[in-house]
Parts: sequence; C-alpha cells; structure tokens
Amino acid sequence: MAPDAKLSHTAAMILQALDRGFVYGFSIMEMTGLPSGTVYPAMRRLERDDLIRSQWEKQSIADAEQRPPRKYYKLTAAGRSTLEASRKRYPLLERLIPSEEVKTL
Amino acid sequence: MTPSAEWTVRHFHLGLLRGASFLVPAQQRAEWWREWHAELWHVRQSCAPAGCASWGGVREVTAFCLGAFQDALCLKRHCGEKARPWAAFQGSPAQCIVFLGAVLAAGFSIALLLPGVRAERSLMQRGVNRGLVLIRDAAADNDAAETISFGHYRAWARQKQQYFDGFAFYRVTQELAVLESAPAGSPENEPWGVARATSNLFALLRLPVQFSQLDSGGELPGLILSEAFWKREFAANPHVAGSIVRLGERKYRIAGVVPDGSWRLPGKVDAWLLQPESAIAPDRAGYVVAHLTALGDEEMWRPRVPITVFNANQSEDDLLGISLDDGMPQPWDVYLFTVILAFLALPATTSVSLGEYSVCSQRPSGWRRLCRWSLLSAKVGLLLPIVYFVSLDLAYGCTSFEPTRAVYIQLVSSFLMCLFGMGWVLRDQRQRCPVCLRRVEHPAQVGQASWNFLAWNGTELMCMGGHTLLHVPGLPTSWFSTQRWLYLDTSWEFLFAGPGPVPKKELLTGF
Repeated sequence: MAPDAKLSHTAAMILQALDRGFVYGFSIMEMTGLPSGTVYPAMRRLERDDLIRSQWEKQSIADAEQRPPRKYYKLTAAGRSTLEASRKRYPLLERLIPSEEVKTL
Repeated sequence: MTPSAEWTVRHFHLGLLRGASFLVPAQQRAEWWREWHAELWHVRQSCAPAGCASWGGVREVTAFCLGAFQDALCLKRHCGEKARPWAAFQGSPAQCIVFLGAVLAAGFSIALLLPGVRAERSLMQRGVNRGLVLIRDAAADNDAAETISFGHYRAWARQKQQYFDGFAFYRVTQELAVLESAPAGSPENEPWGVARATSNLFALLRLPVQFSQLDSGGELPGLILSEAFWKREFAANPHVAGSIVRLGERKYRIAGVVPDGSWRLPGKVDAWLLQPESAIAPDRAGYVVAHLTALGDEEMWRPRVPITVFNANQSEDDLLGISLDDGMPQPWDVYLFTVILAFLALPATTSVSLGEYSVCSQRPSGWRRLCRWSLLSAKVGLLLPIVYFVSLDLAYGCTSFEPTRAVYIQLVSSFLMCLFGMGWVLRDQRQRCPVCLRRVEHPAQVGQASWNFLAWNGTELMCMGGHTLLHVPGLPTSWFSTQRWLYLDTSWEFLFAGPGPVPKKELLTGF
C-alpha cells in the first residue's frame, strides 16, 4: 500500500496505539476506547494490507504467567510510513494516544 | 455474584464466542477462536475477575464478546473477496470457451460410450465397399425374392465382364439349429435363417468378422452369426465363438460374428455359412451380389438399372440391378449438408452483423480486433464438432432405430443445433466488449417507445471494465438501425472497480 494512502481516523488511531506499544487487541481497545467489534476487524484489514503483522506469544512465557498465550501485533515498515502520513492528516492523533513515557507516568 | 452465576456467565460468554466462530471460514476458525479465547481471558481478568465479578463487569465482557460477531463477519466478507477471481471468470471469454469445450467433451465421450454410435463410426472407419449391386429378375414382384439360379451365377462369375468385376451368391433357408455346447444365455431350439453363401461374399462386401475362428478349429466348417442375432439371442456373449451347432445332420462351429452392414441385403439372415461353389446345391435360386467396375459405376446412374443378359441360348434375360448403397447417406455427408443449409438459413433467423459500428473514432487496435475475431473463430470451431457428435448421439444412440429414421434424426438435430448454435454465437459475440471481450452487463432501458421518432430509445449495456457502452435500439430506424459501441476514455476509469478485487484504498477508507 502506498504510504500516502488515506486511512480512516479509526485505522490511524489503531496504528498510533500499536506504535505506542499497545500490542494486544484488548489493550488497544482500552487505549482508544473503541469497541471490540471495531478494533479487531480493523486490525484484520490492516494486516491484510501489510501495514501490521501478527505473531503468537511463546507458550513458555504464557505458561510462566499462568495464562493463555496472546496474539500480538506490530507495525511493518509500510505501516510506519502510512502512520507518518496519517499524523499529518490528523494532527491530534499523537495527543489522543499518548506516548509510552506519558502512559507510564 | 455467586459461583454458580459466575460459572453460568463464563459459559455464556464462551457460547457467544463459539457461536460467532461458526461465521468464520473453516480454515481460519481455529486461530480465530484461539485469539478471541485468549483475549476473553484477559478481558475477564480486567473487568470481571473470578470471585469479585460485578454485573457492570459482566456487561463489559458481554459487549466484548458481541464484538466477536462483527469480527467474524468481517473475516467472512474478506474470504468472499478472495473468491472474486471466480467472479471475474463469469462473463469472460475463457468461460465461454471452457463451456463449449465441456459440451464438446461430453458429446464426444457419449459418442464413445453409446454402442450404436460406436458401430456407426466403425462402419465409417472401415469404409463401405461402394458399387455393390443386387441382381434380380426384372419380372419378380419384390427385391426379397430369390430369383437368380446358381447356374446363371456360375456362368457370370466365370466370364470376364465389362461392367462387373466380382460376383457372390447366397440363399437363405430356415433350418432347425441345435446347440451342442451351449454357453449361458443360449437360445432355445428354433429355426435359424441360415444363408449359404459363396466364400467370397464377405470379401466382396468388405465385412470383417469379429472373434474370427475361421482358420482354427480344424475339421468342422465355420458358421458366422449376424450381429443382430448374436446380440438378440446370445446377449452379445463373446464366448459363443467355438460353440458347436447342429444344422440338420451336420455339425458346424460358430466361428465369429459379422457386423450388420448399412446396405441391408435381402433375406432374414441369422447365420452365414461360407462354402465353396461345389458345396452349394444348384437346385434352388438365390441372390446375386455383384461389384461394379469403373465403367459399370458410370452406368449405374440410378438406384435401379435394367440389365440385359444373353444366356446360353442367345436369348435375352431382363434383369434389374439394384444399388445396395442407395438412399443411405453417410453421417458425415448428412452433417456437411446440414451445416451448409444452416449457414444459408442463418441470415433469415438472426442478424449476422457484429455491431462493429462505433459512434466515435476511438476504435480498438488491430490486435484487439484480431483477438475478437479469434474468439469468434474459436466458438464456431468448437460449435461445429459439438453439432456433429451430439447429432450422432441423438441419431444412433438408440440402436432400435431404423437406419432411415436415424438419418432423419441426424438431419433435423444437426440442422437445428447448427442454426440456433450459430445464432447464439453471433448474439454472444455482439454483446462482448470489443476491448476486453467480456460480456456487457446491467442492461438499462432508456427512453420510451413513443419517443422513437423524436429521441432515442432502447437498451444500454455497460462493460464492467469501463471500456465501452453498448447502445441497442429498441426499434431500428434509418438513423439508428444497428447497435453501436461507445468507447469510454480514461476519465471514466475511477467509476469502475474492474473485474478483480476491490482496491485496498477503497476498503481502508471504509473503516
């Protein structure tokens, strides 16, 4: 997908959340306030368009924490370029999803 | 919340997820379930942890689970988009060619399987010995009468003839046959129509003998069954060859089966007994089959030709020569005739114009026009063998048909299929975009019939690739008599998604 492709605001928010380190579907829901019926389908489309990619957590890590393994998502190079273009289109995007430093405060 | 209520709620949420999972395409279901199940665990830990769950938390978890349905539907739609290549196949030239190819393969396969068609084709392949004539007394009432004496036959056969280069003699008698070593399904003892013929008869007719054991088996003379009798009385059992049959006082060995020819020799013959001339009793008259020389063939310009023979007393005998291959055209001749007839009749039933006229100068390139003509040629090239094989299947599929009826069935079916098939080929070609060769779609009625003399009315069809618009007049007029193509320039492209998948940009902006 071309970096200058116009993303919807929702898709841009999800990319921004992933860029800020919220790498699970539920954590993106919590951060963006979007419902599950919006976040997960959007992530499917972003993954299909090679803007993000998914990977399963190692079973050993999940076993150590006594929980099921989760599927986490991360930005691809194309996704990062598209996010940069989207930030110019939606200047408030960075304020809506605070950076990692702000989040930890 | 009580533990039992928590247990109920937990299973209710799992049930929701499980229900949503059935909407997911089967190949993605396991991974989808794994992800949502893991996420549910975390949502539950966050909103309604075990032991201290509240109804507010349960509502949040329920809302999370209901979102799974939207996600499942999204995956289902995504899978449908992947299936679009099949949709792109619809209406394409390849679909048309594949369809015609499949019909041709089916027609050819059926022709290979049907015994009647197989027999007719084998008859065509081995070739019929043309120029065969049955000679009978001109004074006889009908062709089935045995009128030529064996003496006359022998006299003709020994003399060099100008018009004939071969003679054969046979006569038919009803004889009680007794099978001594009968295979399963053998007929009861009843009279057989046995033709005692001179040994050169089959060579003259050019008839091959199946399961031939004429040269083996030693002392007993060979008896050859006719194909119809073999099928009717022995259920086409190939092991009948070698069986011993008693005819009167003598024993014979069944030595093979001879196929029924298309020439229909007179006399109801169940079995043939080829004998040397010396073994044939000269007391009774019989049938004489003769083969014409080139000169004789020229003279045989009618199905029945009178023949004058000078006998030993120098008096004249009036005979009649009856062509044995008259009135039964070969399937290939019938087919060619009907194809020519259908092509002549085609302009009377449908317009043969391809609607090439364009209202603007943007005509397709020479290469595109060549592709268009190639498609038309391919369709015609596939249609013609389809007509041939399907008409053979219809005419000769049922072996109980008389040969004359089979010819008529082939005549009518071949003509109709060729006529309407060619009409379909032309109509299909007229509705194919000259640029991409896909069928134009979405017909829209424009105008009203009452406007015809003031404005245009008719049907407009559009190429889904965005190349052309087809105008078909509702009522042909002097200024708009045939369909016209309007070629669209590139400024129209943004309106058309094309036959392939919807562009990603369009999907993304739909979030």
